[in-house]
Amino acid sequence: MATSLGSNTYNRQNWEDSDFPILCQTCLGENPYIRMTKEKFGKECKICARPFTVFRWCPGVRMRFKKTEVCQTCSKMKNVCQTCLLDLEYGLPIQVRDTGLSVKDEVPRSDVNKEYYTQNMEREIANSDGTRPVGLLGKAPSSSDMLLKLARTTPYYKRNRPHICSFWVKGECKRGEECPYRHEKPTDPDDPLADQNIKDRFYGINDPVANKLLMRATTMPRLDIPEDKSITTLYIGGLGEDVTDSELRNHFYQFGEIRTITIVQRQQCAFIQFATRQAAETAAEKSFNKLIINGRRLNVKWGRSQAARGKEREKDGVTESGIRLEPVPGLPGALPPPPMSDEDASTNYFNLAPTSSSAVMNLGLPPPPGVAMPPPPGFGPPMFHTMDPMAPPMPPPMAMRPPGQVHYPSQDPQRMGAHASRHGGP
Amino acid sequence: MPKVKRSRKPPPDGWELIEPTLDELDQKMREELYEYCIREGYADKNLIAKWKKQGYENLCCLRCIQTRDTNFGTNCICRVPKGKLEVGRIIECTHCGCRGCSG
Repeated sequence: MATSLGSNTYNRQNWEDSDFPILCQTCLGENPYIRMTKEKFGKECKICARPFTVFRWCPGVRMRFKKTEVCQTCSKMKNVCQTCLLDLEYGLPIQVRDTGLSVKDEVPRSDVNKEYYTQNMEREIANSDGTRPVGLLGKAPSSSDMLLKLARTTPYYKRNRPHICSFWVKGECKRGEECPYRHEKPTDPDDPLADQNIKDRFYGINDPVANKLLMRATTMPRLDIPEDKSITTLYIGGLGEDVTDSELRNHFYQFGEIRTITIVQRQQCAFIQFATRQAAETAAEKSFNKLIINGRRLNVKWGRSQAARGKEREKDGVTESGIRLEPVPGLPGALPPPPMSDEDASTNYFNLAPTSSSAVMNLGLPPPPGVAMPPPPGFGPPMFHTMDPMAPPMPPPMAMRPPGQVHYPSQDPQRMGAHASRHGGP
Repeated sequence: MPKVKRSRKPPPDGWELIEPTLDELDQKMREELYEYCIREGYADKNLIAKWKKQGYENLCCLRCIQTRDTNFGTNCICRVPKGKLEVGRIIECTHCGCRGCSG
């Protein structure tokens, strides 16, 4: 029972005496010069009902005077500001912060249980160094990106405003101009945010503001992993002119081995292909909506499967540096990409359109157009017959080609990579 | 000095009762009488003493400059000149309802 300031301090819940409040920057206000009064044992803590030192100050012009509402023990237990009961690091309600850090702090609510708990907490706090919160919160992971995203970036001083003048609401405010309370419309009583309770907010149960924030958290943009397990490429957009291959490599090497990096300067984007699917997933998770290079936030998305991208590349027919690829003379034209997934390989032996694949199971169909050859064994790789049109002699070596005619990306003089001429011979 | 009516509005209730007394006060006041009033406590000696000081000519009451009455050892808000008080809002001090007695 916190009835008197006795001399017996052993195993008792004592009145709290402190010499500096624990407050957040928003509660203190915008003015760096503050005058604060201190009153020993001025009020009862709203949570544990112990008398504690009340600090009172003015957070700015036209603001109401704020004072500490809960004692320091209670605020240290939950790592919150003594007046607004919001987290000191994120400025978020206790329920949101606990959900974000997956902390299930069970503070008892009933009378004797609560007193016993706060009394023990007080002793534990006195023994700790005072910089980290005691209890479960001290052992929790120190940061969570969901909380960082939910947190405000600028202070919200509207919560320091004076309360609504209830006389004015009734139409009876005799003070008129000099009335320090707000002469504005009160908040809608049907709004669920209207009935808040300091105990609910402290214990993290049934807090309407927290519920609203958590609802918002679930609707935040997320990056879903694609079902196609073979995709290991990430699309990176919004590059700008100054992000280079080496910078991308420097960032993404930590997730795993990079197979290739392709930068398309024209479209300000890059494709990064990893060696393993796991590495790609980790990279996506760590970079989505977070990666900032050279001050720009990059748009990270999953790339498309190899087959689809292959078709697209061929349509472009352009190398990285923008040189147009002339079709190689003497070749019959662009080849269709080989099927990648297992499903295709098993049914599409003759590389025909998918609708006729079921009928192709038997070998009694005419051979593919333009080639007169016996039908290959059913399980032969489709490459067999497509190789035939390549029978004509291999294209002449690079040296004999007229200079300036670029047919393959490897011939592009501006491309990075090994050139035979560079190495000065074997 | 004879009184000059500066407002065109008629005076409120009770003016007729006190007007003769006030007129007599004006006519009969002389230095000896003044000192007597002060000595007997009909006039506030201390407040009048303040009025003689520079900057305090319009002082509303003695409570408003008593620094021991405030939390931070300052004067009352009514002592702040209107120009410095940038709120632009009407302030009535809690002691005497004064709306600004300097500046």
